[in-house]
Amino acid sequence: MKTAFIMQKEIRESILTPKGFSWYVLTSVILSVLSYLFLTNSELSLLDQGQMLYMIMNFITALGILVGLVFGADAFAGEVERGTMEALFLSPVTKAEIAIGKLGAALTNWAIILAISLPYLFVVGKGGQNLLIGIAYVAILGTFLAIIFSAFSMGLSSRVKSVKNSLMVTFFIFLLAGAPIFLSAAQRRTWFGRILDFINPFACAINTFDSVVIDSQGLAYQAGRVAIICGYLLLSLWFLKRSVSRLEM
Amino acid sequence: MIINVENLIKKYDGYTALDGLNFAVEHGDIFGFLGPNGAGKTTTIRILTAIIKADSGNVLIDGYDVFREPMAVKNIVNALPESNGYYEWMTAFEYLEFFSHLYEKKTSKQEIHDLLETVGLHRKEGHLIRSYSRGMKQRLGIARALINRPKLLFLDEPTNGLDPKGRRDIHDLVIDLNRKGGTTIFLSTHLLDDVERLCNRIAIINYGTIVKIGELDRMKGKGSIEEIFFLSTKEGAL
Repeated sequence: MKTAFIMQKEIRESILTPKGFSWYVLTSVILSVLSYLFLTNSELSLLDQGQMLYMIMNFITALGILVGLVFGADAFAGEVERGTMEALFLSPVTKAEIAIGKLGAALTNWAIILAISLPYLFVVGKGGQNLLIGIAYVAILGTFLAIIFSAFSMGLSSRVKSVKNSLMVTFFIFLLAGAPIFLSAAQRRTWFGRILDFINPFACAINTFDSVVIDSQGLAYQAGRVAIICGYLLLSLWFLKRSVSRLEM
Repeated sequence: MIINVENLIKKYDGYTALDGLNFAVEHGDIFGFLGPNGAGKTTTIRILTAIIKADSGNVLIDGYDVFREPMAVKNIVNALPESNGYYEWMTAFEYLEFFSHLYEKKTSKQEIHDLLETVGLHRKEGHLIRSYSRGMKQRLGIARALINRPKLLFLDEPTNGLDPKGRRDIHDLVIDLNRKGGTTIFLSTHLLDDVERLCNRIAIINYGTIVKIGELDRMKGKGSIEEIFFLSTKEGAL
């Protein structure tokens, strides 16, 4: 119950503010532009709907990761810098309860982004194959990735206790996570590209989307990549728990 | 005894912040905890309020072991930290309501109104905290520290940076809480005026060790509080 109140406070502080709201406006604007281009641009509109859906899914997931990282970077370091952490620690609340409340708020953020994205997914993927299964995958794997990157960023935030440093590191992590997107198809087939694809949870997610939406492959084909994402999920939660348990004023 | 501290040691990366601290505080005291900057006052409060752990030693708060029963301790104590931040986007009422939800014992809306009245903020309870003056924020901080009706209240430099009226308001509030509410007050400060006006017992800490402890009136018989403080905290006074 205490966790619910902390989560409510976090949602009010980080989401229901002009700054928090701007993420949603940004999401809507970018998705609107992307969808418009997909449907009207003479070259892009030649892509089949599976391809369009896949690209929108990648974008939504990447945005979820980015928002999770930014939110997480402020979670503990921000409270320490603003001097509000000590009052929270004086209350009979465990550090784990505080972390769960903050993580819950980060997931609420992701849920809102996903909800905003749904109409765009339907518009772009309408009439194409695998629309519903694609949405299910982006909801499930996107949630896993939102937890992974938020938890990792929060853990880091509780260790470095500086929003600026925390943001710098999380930005670097975001670039690492997005690295497969910057590699060409040939580069991704090299040993480096393959390792990066294998160890990068974001790459695992987008390869799964590709496999599900474009190649129409079943769950059995995705097991290995999903297992890697689940591994990261457990690792990130362990990292958050360990980091927060060590947090001292 | 509401506080009993025995041989408390705390080190940070090789630096000894508390070096075998021993003292006790009785129920109903306004206990002044004096010391120069860096003497170990804030570290002591953080350990006594179960925010941080010590490396060794024993601390009992009203019979509860701080290290083994931190949640029991947090339910009966509270504190106003030296650099207390606020959720400035909340109103005073929302701020207190949020903290009241973090305790097992429920606090009604009426009790929150009463608390704000106690600290003189009831007319501004619907205003955003960001519009408050420093003195008002300190009073709100005290109200937050009273949300669980603590038996023991720690105040860390509560009058720092306040104008004379703000200081007087805090003094009056502390006296009221102690006399009418029966709350034991642990007042950490380096402002000797505050100590003389408020405290019945004091301890002076220097380099993480208590160098003087006793009844304020008795100590004053041996010289002014200022002289005692400077003699006790002089390099090598130990």
